Amino acid sequence: MSALQTQLKVTGLVKRFAGKTVLAGVDLILDAGEVLCILGPNGAGKTTLISAILGLIGTDSGEIQLLGQPQKGTNRSMALRQQCGVMMQIGSLSANLTVAEQCDLFSSYYDNGYSAAELVKLAGLQAQAKVRFGRLSGGQKQRLLFALALAGKPKLVFLDEPTLGMDVEARRNLWQQIRQLKQQGVAVVLTTHYLEEAEQLADRIMVLHQGRFIANGSPQQLKELTRYKVVQCCSSLTDAELLALPGALQLSRQQGVITLHSSHAEQTVKALLDKDGAVSQLEVRPVALEQAFLQLTAQSAERSANKEQAA
Amino acid sequence: MSSVAIYQKEAWYDLVSAWRTPGFVLPALAFPVVFYLFFGVLFSPAGSSHAAYMLVTYSCFGIMGPAMFNFAMNIASDRAQGWLTLKRLSPMPVSAYLLAKMATSLVFAMLIIVLLFSVAAVFGDVRLEQGQWLGLALLLLAGTVPFALIGLLLGLTLSDKAAPGVVNLLYLPMAFLSGLWLPIHLLPQFLQQLAWVWPSYHLSQLGLKLLAMDQGQPLLHLVILGLTTAVLMGLCVLVFRRYTGAK
Repeated sequence: MSALQTQLKVTGLVKRFAGKTVLAGVDLILDAGEVLCILGPNGAGKTTLISAILGLIGTDSGEIQLLGQPQKGTNRSMALRQQCGVMMQIGSLSANLTVAEQCDLFSSYYDNGYSAAELVKLAGLQAQAKVRFGRLSGGQKQRLLFALALAGKPKLVFLDEPTLGMDVEARRNLWQQIRQLKQQGVAVVLTTHYLEEAEQLADRIMVLHQGRFIANGSPQQLKELTRYKVVQCCSSLTDAELLALPGALQLSRQQGVITLHSSHAEQTVKALLDKDGAVSQLEVRPVALEQAFLQLTAQSAERSANKEQAA
Repeated sequence: MSSVAIYQKEAWYDLVSAWRTPGFVLPALAFPVVFYLFFGVLFSPAGSSHAAYMLVTYSCFGIMGPAMFNFAMNIASDRAQGWLTLKRLSPMPVSAYLLAKMATSLVFAMLIIVLLFSVAAVFGDVRLEQGQWLGLALLLLAGTVPFALIGLLLGLTLSDKAAPGVVNLLYLPMAFLSGLWLPIHLLPQFLQQLAWVWPSYHLSQLGLKLLAMDQGQPLLHLVILGLTTAVLMGLCVLVFRRYTGAK
């Protein structure tokens, strides 16, 4: 028997909105004590995926298992609600109630949760306990929403863009709290725009693109990818000469402009200038994460194709 | 924590939140009182029963407002801001949320009843039997239910921006056309017939029956109001199911 317990399992999840496929067969598995980070550009389907897992929207096909229980449609058992904590991207509390009052209200929902005072402390808002939600700063609101997500001492936590609007210090504090959750064996699903956040927290990063996971790996693997740069220039060198430059990976030409992907941009540029003194319109910029992952998937497909040929 | 505590806290904080919204409290309490003082008491011919008649109609007008506004505006904005989503994901039973809103509407209805009855007794010289006061108060409290359901229906279907305007657009004409501002018999014949459409007309006629000032057919009014409430409730269930994605 494995020490790790699977807390969330999604198989072949498909969701269509008005004929458009938003989730095109998504699979994922999350164990206790694991932090899974879902990255992806806006419109990739992150929020739809979380809403489907939480039963806020129905799905067209596929299976979802939360804490060992199958989830069917949009009805979730009270037991499941007791054990899941959620912080949604658009989450605003009643503007007229104070921090202490919101905590009092939320702590009453849970059988074995934190007390109101503990929640205020968890949010780090003791000094603002009597301030109404509407008058808190963006970061303070996020901290309160985070604390309320933990109100029931959940086993599984969903955090949709939790550090949005937080300053650096608040963000680091929240990261610390997420690490503590992990140590307590809580399974965490996190969506974020911040690469650094994913690197700091995630055990595993999955990249969602057009309703599909196109990559699944550790932060180290991700870091490799983001080292890639794009070198753009106009040059008289041939394709073969360009691809022979150190670090050069992939090449495309459009209206005389050469776009070269490189794993070691500095060396590529140095060699390029050595070979062709007449280079013009030179530009070096980072690869967008999404592009880097697309490249990764393309490479892995190529590699497996090569293996098949060799075999 | 027992589930009774959830219901209590939900209700208490819904009331606290409503009470801290001056834009809700002031019109809800001041409009019926000021209108009644003006049109029911000051313009009442001496020795007439005008002040008693208008007490019934302005009380109906008064209790409709908070019921419709508290439901429609708050549910629409809770939906827009994700608050309702968070609550739905929590173990809070949906009934606690809805009953809390109902309780707030009843508290405001009670305040309006006390205020208007006091104004009527002190300034309007309205004298009723004890049973009439009590009967009227109970009828008005029960009468908040259909208006709360209308508010719920609007709150579940409208955006938070549209809700206040639409409620006003329904509330004010419905009150006027039901004879709550001017006695119904002063309205043109076709408007008197149209009044049968409005639940507020039936409620006011039931109230006037207690004072023997109605236009007759109390049983019919009671049945229609009851049926309207039942239909509204069915609609609310349907819309709520659609909203939560249950099929």
